[in-house]
Amino acid sequence: MDNRTAIIKQPDNISSFNDVYKLQKQYQQALILDKSNPDFIWIGEHQLCYTLGRGSNYDNLLFSLNDSRYDVFKIDRGGEVTCHMPGQLVTYLVLDLKNFNKDLNWYLRKVEEIIIKILETFNINCQSRKGFTGVWVGNKKIASIGIGCKRWITINGFSININCELENFNKIVPCGIENCLMANMIDYNKNLNIQEVKRIVKKIIQEEFNFDFVSK
Amino acid sequence: MSHEIFMPALSSTMTEGKIVEWLKNPGDKVERGESVLVVESDKADMDVESFQDGYLAAVLMPAGSTAPVGETIGLIVENEDEITSVQEQNKGNQQEVSSSDQLELVSNKTEEKPIAQNEIVEKQEKEVVLKSEKADPSFNSDQINAATNNVSSRIIASPRAKKLASQMGVDLAKVHGSGPHGRIQADDILKANGQPVSIPWIGEGDSPASIPGANLGVKIKPETSGNSFGNPGETVQFNTLQKAVNKNMESSLDVPCFRVGYSINTDKLDNFYKKVKQNGVTMTALLVKAVAKTLKKHPQVNSSFSENGISYPENINIAVAVAMEDGGLITPVLKEPCNTDLFELSREWKDLVKRSRSKQLEPDEYSTGTFTLSNLGMFGVDRFDAILPPGTGAILAIASSKPTVVANSDGSISVNKIMQVNLTADHRVIYGADGASFLKDLASLIENEPENLVS
Repeated sequence: MDNRTAIIKQPDNISSFNDVYKLQKQYQQALILDKSNPDFIWIGEHQLCYTLGRGSNYDNLLFSLNDSRYDVFKIDRGGEVTCHMPGQLVTYLVLDLKNFNKDLNWYLRKVEEIIIKILETFNINCQSRKGFTGVWVGNKKIASIGIGCKRWITINGFSININCELENFNKIVPCGIENCLMANMIDYNKNLNIQEVKRIVKKIIQEEFNFDFVSK
Repeated sequence: MSHEIFMPALSSTMTEGKIVEWLKNPGDKVERGESVLVVESDKADMDVESFQDGYLAAVLMPAGSTAPVGETIGLIVENEDEITSVQEQNKGNQQEVSSSDQLELVSNKTEEKPIAQNEIVEKQEKEVVLKSEKADPSFNSDQINAATNNVSSRIIASPRAKKLASQMGVDLAKVHGSGPHGRIQADDILKANGQPVSIPWIGEGDSPASIPGANLGVKIKPETSGNSFGNPGETVQFNTLQKAVNKNMESSLDVPCFRVGYSINTDKLDNFYKKVKQNGVTMTALLVKAVAKTLKKHPQVNSSFSENGISYPENINIAVAVAMEDGGLITPVLKEPCNTDLFELSREWKDLVKRSRSKQLEPDEYSTGTFTLSNLGMFGVDRFDAILPPGTGAILAIASSKPTVVANSDGSISVNKIMQVNLTADHRVIYGADGASFLKDLASLIENEPENLVS
């Protein structure tokens, strides 16, 4: 496979969910209009917010939508409600699957594989579970996946809990799974820090998709 | 006229998809490329777009429901004033669809016991068997209609007929069933909708593929003696199309061609075809997909001779020869089959065939092929070779797939379906080894991984 050029952004500060979402949409739209435009990768952290997929059940949100303490976004991805916050590393992939494999199941499994490789770099033993997309350490969920796609150009991606306040997940039924336990990477490897994880995420994505990264 | 929106295939393993949300309501204006609905598979969402400017006229499957890949889930019309008529036509269907199977509906209403319902199902199954054993063709349709009237007002229709009726907006209550006891068959729906019966399926039965229309002349005009364009003693002038074909064929005499053949086991392909056929997939689309995917790995076989050297086209466009009823042939082109999923490709093919019959193809729809397929499989021929069309480097002749006794390398003997293919190529640009390795990979794809032909 030929190398593809991708623009990568990995801000060090906490980013507004809405701004990054708009940015993803811009890159997706650009690829729809012209397939020679670059793919786009974003790796970073958000302020506390809750997001719902278009098919999400509002019953899985355990607080009122009118509660002004919580930011809630409804976005174009699959899956149920989830939660982002500082200490959780979010990776968005705007990729033209026409250059890889026009198969969303393939893509979901590929993303799981990538997350497993990232965690294995830090000696964390984890698995995917059939029927429960995401990555698990035993019965605890450590990484979540949610993908949107338009004309085979993807949007959104995955989030890995590193050292975030897992209590925030108590206000929702994560991914619609009752009594779903969550985990942080730090629980299994005390010596890691988020900057190191970021570096590995970038490296593995680059290898797995044969990207030439350009920062802009 | 209305255009159908189909349930797309989001992955090669997906057989049905869930409609998450309709982004447009019936009556809304939609633009080409605008998202109309969202379909979900696991944790991934896909926007389904409109392929033309128009109006969303009907939603046949509501949000939250699941539909098989290839199923019609909505209708788009070009003009605002068509909305009401399409909605009117599909009113019944929309309710039907949301309240699941019609048969259950009937039995619930009449409060029959579940046993009675089973009896109906059983009875219908028997009827299906009867039908496939081929009822006496001299069956009088008036007798059947009389029988229908006796059966009271309950509508009995085959599942495929029901599906077609809902897709085409045909009211089942107004259709006369031609099956046993007035059961409504798929053909009855086609007739009621004013469509020629089984047109899209010609030659697609058990034969490997079709040149639709090739045997149409025989079928439609049984009164003519034999298949010819003139009467004994006559000389008939060539029509324009025949003249064009003659010119093309003569120009091949200046090309140094060679031929190379291969026997391909189609057991897996045939099984796969049986599965996807119900979603509207045609064998032609499967073969085109297989050839295009293999050409991608063998760009040399997609090249052609030019004065300046070997010319490599930017695209892979597969032309497929289709015989015309009134003489001559035309080669509608499936453009870039690698970028189109199998279901969409099948629909494109059906549309091209339909429009080539009515001579409505645009020049770029029949003259942009970079590689040609010619299939005579449905006549049962065991092998043939094709003449190279000008401007291209190769053409593949596909014969019928037949049960054949095969001696295997381990010394065992088995019966497999074997299809012979024969490549004709311009030796100035394509050499024997190019052609042979292309055929080897084509055979390997068809024999081992036909499911990869989906996307």
